[in-house]
Amino acid sequence: MIDGKETFWEALKRHGVSRREFLKFSAVITGLMGLPPAFIPKVVEAMETKPRVPVIWVHGLECTCCSESFIRSATPLASDVLLTMISLEYDDTLSAAAGEALEKHKEDIMKKYHGEYILAVEGNPPLGDDGMYCVVGGKPFLEGLKKAAEGAKAVIAWGSCASWGCVQAAKPNPTTAVPIHKVITDKPIVKIPGCPPIPEVMTGTIMYTVLFGKLPPLDSQGRPKMFYGNRIHDTCYRRAFFNEGMYVEQFDDEGAKKGWCLYKMGCRGPTTYNSCGNLRWYNGLSYPIQSGHGCIGCSADGFWDNGNFYSREQNIPFIGTESNADKVGAVAVGAAAVGAIAHGVISKIRSGKKED
Amino acid sequence: MSSRVVIDPVSRIEGHLRLEIEVDEPSHKVTNAVSAGTMWRGIELIVKNRDPREVWAFTQRICGVCTTIHALASVRNIEDALDIEIPKNANYIRNIMLGTLYAHDHLVHFYHLHALDWVSPLEAIKADPVATAALQNQILQTYGGIISLYTDFLGGNAYPRKFPKATPGYFKTFQDKIKNLVQSGQLGIFAANWWDHPDYKMLPPEVHLIAISHYLNMLDVQRELVIPHVVFGGKNPHPHYIVGGMNCSISMNDMNAPINMERLAVVEDAVYTQAEAANLFYLIDLLAIGQIYVQKGWTYGGGLSKDRVLGYGDYPDEPYKSIKNGDYFEKILYHSNGVVENFAQGVDKAKYYPITNEDLTNPDIIQEWVTHSWYQYPNNNEGLHPWNGITDPYYTGPKEGTKTHWKYLNENGKYSWIKSPRWRNLPAEVGPLARYMIVYTAVKQGHIKPSWMDEMVVNQIDFVSKLLNLPPHVWMPTTVGRTAARALECQLGANASNYFLKKLYDNIKAGDTSVANMEKWEPSTWPSQAKGVGISEAPRGALGHWCIIKDGKIENYQAVVPTTWNGSPRDEKGQQAAFERSMQDTIVLIAKEPLEILRSIHSFDPCLACSTHVYNTQKEEVVSFKIGGACYE
Repeated sequence: MIDGKETFWEALKRHGVSRREFLKFSAVITGLMGLPPAFIPKVVEAMETKPRVPVIWVHGLECTCCSESFIRSATPLASDVLLTMISLEYDDTLSAAAGEALEKHKEDIMKKYHGEYILAVEGNPPLGDDGMYCVVGGKPFLEGLKKAAEGAKAVIAWGSCASWGCVQAAKPNPTTAVPIHKVITDKPIVKIPGCPPIPEVMTGTIMYTVLFGKLPPLDSQGRPKMFYGNRIHDTCYRRAFFNEGMYVEQFDDEGAKKGWCLYKMGCRGPTTYNSCGNLRWYNGLSYPIQSGHGCIGCSADGFWDNGNFYSREQNIPFIGTESNADKVGAVAVGAAAVGAIAHGVISKIRSGKKED
Repeated sequence: MSSRVVIDPVSRIEGHLRLEIEVDEPSHKVTNAVSAGTMWRGIELIVKNRDPREVWAFTQRICGVCTTIHALASVRNIEDALDIEIPKNANYIRNIMLGTLYAHDHLVHFYHLHALDWVSPLEAIKADPVATAALQNQILQTYGGIISLYTDFLGGNAYPRKFPKATPGYFKTFQDKIKNLVQSGQLGIFAANWWDHPDYKMLPPEVHLIAISHYLNMLDVQRELVIPHVVFGGKNPHPHYIVGGMNCSISMNDMNAPINMERLAVVEDAVYTQAEAANLFYLIDLLAIGQIYVQKGWTYGGGLSKDRVLGYGDYPDEPYKSIKNGDYFEKILYHSNGVVENFAQGVDKAKYYPITNEDLTNPDIIQEWVTHSWYQYPNNNEGLHPWNGITDPYYTGPKEGTKTHWKYLNENGKYSWIKSPRWRNLPAEVGPLARYMIVYTAVKQGHIKPSWMDEMVVNQIDFVSKLLNLPPHVWMPTTVGRTAARALECQLGANASNYFLKKLYDNIKAGDTSVANMEKWEPSTWPSQAKGVGISEAPRGALGHWCIIKDGKIENYQAVVPTTWNGSPRDEKGQQAAFERSMQDTIVLIAKEPLEILRSIHSFDPCLACSTHVYNTQKEEVVSFKIGGACYE
């Protein structure tokens, strides 16, 4: 026990987990977090010594898809997160208590764990009409959000609502809904965009934060690098068809049945950063492109107002150049030839080394 | 003496809801009940001037809990406007996704949003694990007959994979987890509830332990139920659809195809998981808890359901040509399209009215009122059809407190961000209970030729009536009845998934792999103006979307959703909707711990993001065309 608070390892022990299982578990989550095996001892140490962190999860203007996504997580399962990793002390969706009793409990937790709890925000505050388009406990959500942020160690912005504004902030944004970084300016905020975010991206971020006692490495926009470092296009299983200029021209055509590239159907994969292509949904089961629909770019800032979902992207940023589907189609043969040569060269270098 | 108690926030719901009740202390009766939606987002305004083909994605974000239902209503709406008939496979796939939603949403509601109104982890600690295991076997025996009402059309399941474990070790494991949680002092989601309320003593500790164990067990199993959404729509929540059918092309020649044999096998496995979770866990637990509550006389909370319920019907067996022209109602299998009045007087005395296309398009039948909502009309004392709606926000603050710090709301003035929809100027309850009353009345009074789904509903109701030894008009219009109807409908939805997957197989076998009708994909093929209606039976009740398309863009879009019906404030005549009526029909033992109120309100499965998304702040007429006459066509 550290300062009278239970550590991860103690919590796991309490749940009947053996030392051996604990080490195995640590290895698995090290992999899950995208860390090399050399980090396993660090993970083990973190789990043995870090106290469990209370989480306050508040809801503004939203649709609760983030909460639903969170409980879809397979690794770890929702029950493991809720019973062994965090102490979810306040959540409009899952908390047993309601009304004054629940609000008082939130106040108590904010005092008891001042500077230590994580504030998770689902949805966003509307600024219109003094914030009275979203009222919680008879007060504007905005007021409660700012208050809860004061004593938070860090803030997690769940989903595209909290991160960017999402659907209620789409034009003409009738309620003047704003992303939370517009109203919380003095705390570290990790953005987990997506409508909703991928379940394991949500739980993976929580695990990292709790285990290492800090936010995961973030990109310039505040998103965890490990989950938002790649464009969906670059990790898409249909990428080869793009390179070959083989496209779906209309829903349910021959190309659609063969799983060709959806770029011409408006796919936003080329401009969207998320783990849909590599991690996928449901532990690799599928993602929108695999189901035959283009990516709508739901983790991108302002994706509702970036043009029609079915009109194609005009240009795709390639490394050091710009191109589009027609050009790729036209140069596909040439590129394939260049690729073959390059491949041949590399093979030779390799085989040459072998001979040495 | 009467005291006013506020419950805000109401937790374990979607969105933001505030309740205020006045309880008469000696009689424990609720003398006044106020229900207010306290959020709105304005999505209909946001979809104006957008491409009708992408509106499904916007309206889908009305709700992420009943995710998919607003996408379904939206594609149906646009297809209705543009006269698009979808292929058979698309209809079957959409119905599998709808059945999947019923199975998942209802189950999660019961275990994770509602169970803690009935059972307590602190009581579960007191249970004897050996007696609990014996009780699990006993209740499977006692209530297991319900399982036989599920028909396996597919016939491909060797044995149930998810079967309730009835061993002392299983229950002891869960009990130890809860004990340790309590001892650690970090109760997390279980913290700060009114666990000392005497209602938690109603059930033996062993029932608490079964339910709490299954709360945790099903928290991990629920994700498997929605796998069909991930296969057909690419993810869940918020799977993808397209106007004209589905995006998931079928090919038995390609592993890269969105749908092939392997993908269908994944769906089939999930369809059986839905059945097992509904049949072996949810229904058994529900009947065990519900029977004891009913036996102890807890038959309160019926409220408006005793007087009037409403539904639209769903699950088209085959593709239909149109909703606004009525073909939809010829094709549906779930005949909850009706209004039933006075069910509480007995099914023979109940009054049945069918609901068809006329009810959706006639401007005098379905209307919304704003007398007690924070909006104003030129004439505050009239109702407007969604096609003629005006939204002009007029926030007036509370009765006591300040504009931004409420003490009590003013039910004599305006008090909610929800409008008040009414059917022929009358309030109606919607939802699984409403649908079950409508189908039961329609079949028993001989108004319809029952489909297999209608027959299943009747058989389920008769099964429960026999078990409780009470006629349907006594046990159904109650809080327990509302909760029971949802459980029965979980089984019905799971069975629909099974039925439509079989139809999908048979159709593919017959050589048809089409999933999308693209004839009218290009806006150049559309008329310059069109109007549509898209309806569905959402998990929480009757859902309607209305649209007007002009020059390839959305001219107007309106949705009237289940929680708007149930959670609306009073109308100009002072008529209360289902939430308020249910609360006033509930006995509250301890005014400061109104657990019974939460139980009754949770029995509706409130969804506030759904109910309060609809308004336009621009003080403009939302719809500007006339019904009939020389309008625009």
